[in-house]
Amino acid sequence: MLARVANDLFWMGRYIERAEHTARFVNVNYFSSLDAPNKLSQSRPFVLNSMYAMVNERVEDESELIEEDVLFNIGLNPDKIYSIISCIKIARENANSSRDLISTEFYESINKFYHYIMSYPKDTFVKNGLYDFTTTVSEHTAILRAKIRSTLLHNEVYALIMLGMNIERATQITRIIKTKFDDAERAIGGYTNPIKNSYEWTTLLKCAESYDMMRRLYRKTPTQLTTLEFLILNPDCPRSVMNSINQTYTHINQLDSLKLHSTNSSAFFIGKMRSEYEFKTIEEIQESVKKFVEDTLNNLVKISSKLEEEYFNY
Amino acid sequence: MKYNKSNPIFSSYQNNTNLFDEIFDKNENVRPTYKKILELYSDHSIQDFANLNEKAKASFFNQGITFQVYSDKKAQEKIFPFDLFPRIIEAKEWETIEKGVIQRSKALNLFLWDVYHKKNIIKEGIVPMDLISTSGNYLRQMIDFNPPGGIYNHISGTDLIKHSDGKYYVLEDNIRCPSGVSYVICNRNALKRALFGVFNHYEIQTVTDYSENLLEMLESVKPKGVDSPTCVLITPGVYNSAYYEHCYLAKTSGIELVEGRDLFVEKDFVYMKTINGPKRVDVIYRRIDDLFIDPMEFRKDSVLGVPGLFAAYKKGNVTLANAPGTGVADDKAIYTYMPQIIKYYLNEEPILNNVHTYHCSNPDDLKYILENIANLVIKPVDEAGGYGISIGNRLTKEEIEKVKMVIKENPRKYIAQPIMSLSVHATYIDETNSFEQRHVDLRTYTLLGQDKEFVLKGGLTRVALQKGNLIVNSSQGGGSKDTWVLKK
Repeated sequence: MLARVANDLFWMGRYIERAEHTARFVNVNYFSSLDAPNKLSQSRPFVLNSMYAMVNERVEDESELIEEDVLFNIGLNPDKIYSIISCIKIARENANSSRDLISTEFYESINKFYHYIMSYPKDTFVKNGLYDFTTTVSEHTAILRAKIRSTLLHNEVYALIMLGMNIERATQITRIIKTKFDDAERAIGGYTNPIKNSYEWTTLLKCAESYDMMRRLYRKTPTQLTTLEFLILNPDCPRSVMNSINQTYTHINQLDSLKLHSTNSSAFFIGKMRSEYEFKTIEEIQESVKKFVEDTLNNLVKISSKLEEEYFNY
Repeated sequence: MKYNKSNPIFSSYQNNTNLFDEIFDKNENVRPTYKKILELYSDHSIQDFANLNEKAKASFFNQGITFQVYSDKKAQEKIFPFDLFPRIIEAKEWETIEKGVIQRSKALNLFLWDVYHKKNIIKEGIVPMDLISTSGNYLRQMIDFNPPGGIYNHISGTDLIKHSDGKYYVLEDNIRCPSGVSYVICNRNALKRALFGVFNHYEIQTVTDYSENLLEMLESVKPKGVDSPTCVLITPGVYNSAYYEHCYLAKTSGIELVEGRDLFVEKDFVYMKTINGPKRVDVIYRRIDDLFIDPMEFRKDSVLGVPGLFAAYKKGNVTLANAPGTGVADDKAIYTYMPQIIKYYLNEEPILNNVHTYHCSNPDDLKYILENIANLVIKPVDEAGGYGISIGNRLTKEEIEKVKMVIKENPRKYIAQPIMSLSVHATYIDETNSFEQRHVDLRTYTLLGQDKEFVLKGGLTRVALQKGNLIVNSSQGGGSKDTWVLKK
């Protein structure tokens, strides 16, 4: 396969995944804040700032944030690289340049999705379309995932898209953890209980569509410890960092199983990272969540740039 | 069966009997081939057609079967309008067309070999020297070069029209990068989705075998010493108006779709950059114009091509399809010599008619042209896409004077032909919500390889959607129809 096209497939996977996480994050944060148990969690600037933090937009003074602007920038502003509209535009461009390798069914789905977003009226979105828009984005991405899995050959094309999706998923989950962890720290004052039982953990789980399953497994109100354990280390949770790394490992091997033992390869690096995470305990992580989060993000960036060096260098 | 009584959907059909209508004869009776389909269509109301038409449009749009139009400052994504009424070509009629286009493609191939080698046809005075020497598409670099398999025009698109005498005439040959073949297949699929029932009543030749024949043809012209060649299709990129087609052809024939930046040349061999390192390329189906394929040999500012590609080609290490320099033969001035060219190389009478053509470069013809512009079509010899065409009876007096000036300034650049009356076909028109007569032509696709020839049994019927318009090109607002070739 062409190196250029491999790069496009990888990033297509990443941008589809990114769009979905952004949509869900905005949706859950916005709607869960409406009846949050304390004042800070309920306040508009707090929620808007949290949304901006997730997409890495820095804010000087959060009290000056205007809701309609924030929503527009994250959802439909084509000039913001992090917006959902930009993600889908790039994903579709990438699909275009690899169109001969992907199925007609998958292309038609991504093209439809693109046209849906491009024609979504801005005014409706910022006034009363937030729920409709973000849930439809989630649905469309689910369709894309299904088409990728069920209509493409499970060969290197598939492996590259899945590599992109899983690396992005691990990245986004870690970023969501980071954002909500910061939020929880700030919200301490509002609770009688310490940070451990903050309402933000529930929001965090919902952002990852993992709340129900987490409750089934632990049968208790989420705490910091259980939430982080579930979202970082549980290999069965399809959104967990561990699960994403496992999948990344599977797909890098699908791409090139011979390179696994060459110490300089991306495959080796991913394998090493996977082993470390597999035998980590949540207590170790809890000693310094912030450092763990930073390290994870750095490792994920390193994987991406190693892949670029090894496969996409054209 | 008269059309306006038993067919509610045709009740407002205005049959201009001066034109050749492919569905109704002069007495307004339905021609036998179309009887069944008209009967079937009569079960639908015109509102059904309006709905189906909307659905077909949405389907093309969602599938991304679109092209870019550059007329305004911004490129726009547009669908190629598709008409729900298919054109039917009887088996016998098709047989003549098929033989005729193969004959032309072969003659053109021999002509190209000749003008790039001994030039006998010129020496014998059959085609004038200056038509070749003044042609911007004649590539000196190709002189005395033997393309692999001896083939220049691997892929030809021949544009035909049905004149008011009911006979087919060739309007032009396209042997550079003829496009549109993917729409033949899309149209068939779209019609199947919309009105599948009608297919039960006709035995129709398939059109889905084009890609496999394309691949077989490409493999037949592999360079010497290669066992199983790696073929690729090179595209100018995602912004090209025919990008959908490039993807379609690459996907269905299972070859890699590459851009210039994916290829490089080392020691006169061509390689593509893959995730596992360089991989040698043997046959390139190129959808990039001659002048852009290699900045080292042709246009230096080309970023679409591959530096060194032409040198690799001349060493015989890679095949280009079509060969560079074919443009000299699909020039509209050469077109006029086609009957003589066919006779000269094949010793056969042309199977398909040529439209009589006047050369502005010939003083006698020029005189006639200048006196009779109102009854002629003036065409530039080397433009594609319907650009630069003047139709005499549509021009005002001032415009005629202007055209005269332009011709006199550069006579080599123009030819003139009598205004041919393209046949008309019932076409669903959005604005009036009814079927109306519209002019149509037919582009056929011929493949020529080593010991291989193939004509796609169908072809693209293009329809001029504006009333009375004769120019069918998609860039000029044309649409298209599914084209059925009957098995018997």
